Amino acid sequence: MTVVSQVKQTLASLKGIHAGLQQLALTSQDETAQRTFHEAMLATEEIIADIKDRIGRLEFEEPQYHGK
Amino acid sequence: MPIWLETAIRSICILIGLFVITRILGKKQLSKLSFFEYIVGITVGDIAGTMSVDLGISLQEGITSILIWSLFPVAVARLSLRNKKFRDFVEGNSTVFIKNGKILEENLKREKYTVDELLEQLRKKDVFRVADVEFAVLEPNGDLNVLLKREKQPLTVGDVFPNPPREKEPQTVIMDGMILDEPLAVMGLGRGWLKEQLDKQGVAIENVFLAQVDSYGQLTIDLYDDKIQIAEPQEKKLLLAAMKKVQADLELYALQTNSEEAKALYERNAAKMAELVQKVEPLLRN
Repeated sequence: MTVVSQVKQTLASLKGIHAGLQQLALTSQDETAQRTFHEAMLATEEIIADIKDRIGRLEFEEPQYHGK
Repeated sequence: MPIWLETAIRSICILIGLFVITRILGKKQLSKLSFFEYIVGITVGDIAGTMSVDLGISLQEGITSILIWSLFPVAVARLSLRNKKFRDFVEGNSTVFIKNGKILEENLKREKYTVDELLEQLRKKDVFRVADVEFAVLEPNGDLNVLLKREKQPLTVGDVFPNPPREKEPQTVIMDGMILDEPLAVMGLGRGWLKEQLDKQGVAIENVFLAQVDSYGQLTIDLYDDKIQIAEPQEKKLLLAAMKKVQADLELYALQTNSEEAKALYERNAAKMAELVQKVEPLLRN
């Protein structure tokens, strides 16, 4: 597995986590829990943006990573 | 009119009357009867019983007496609801028996309590050593309530986790295979959601005896057929595991990469993820 595909897999997991947190934020009854889940969801969005950025660069630099 | 008929009519009327009166007296009467209320209850019952069989007593006399006996406590209750002094007079005060870990012998004597009785009451509260008690008070209704010393108090969740996640009451959404729409609406969910959840577990609604939704939107079910195994909801645990895995992945990438810039990015995000995991872990653990 190349580095890019590994990072892409992590990105997919991150998106899953984002969705899970979003659902919990919506279904939780307690306000504090709702807020915590919502904040966590927003934080994962930041991470997702960073990782996407990184994937873009990796794909650009891919030749360098081949065979490693 | 034959005697038996008159007795029957009297009894039925009195039964209905007593029923209405007990409704007016309310629930409080059941949970903690004061001595006064106890006696009033017995007397009202006795008058009603005598009235229904003793035809020598005229209905007018009986009803007057019953009304006085039953309405007086209602009036007293109303008054004592308003006035603290009157309440203290009617219901009595509590008496402190143990204070700062020391038995107050004067108060024991005043309530005519022997040491044996005090010990017995303490044992009822699972206290076998008087030295463990910080404070004990005899309530007006005769109960002894005990506050243990801090180091002897049972461990609570709040002692272990400073800010435990709050838990609301679960709602029952299926009973006897029937969907209850109101509790579903209270949770902000609908039949569509419920069907989806049941499909996920591979169960038909008709087979569900009871289903509850907890405050995090997780569905737990009990089936008519107890031989079928159903998995407990795993979503929250899976989510936590996924978060931990992503965090570990990011740390791994940070170690593997040669580029300084990428290393910084991975490390920063791994730290962010670790912080997130720490924040939501208490909510996701169960």
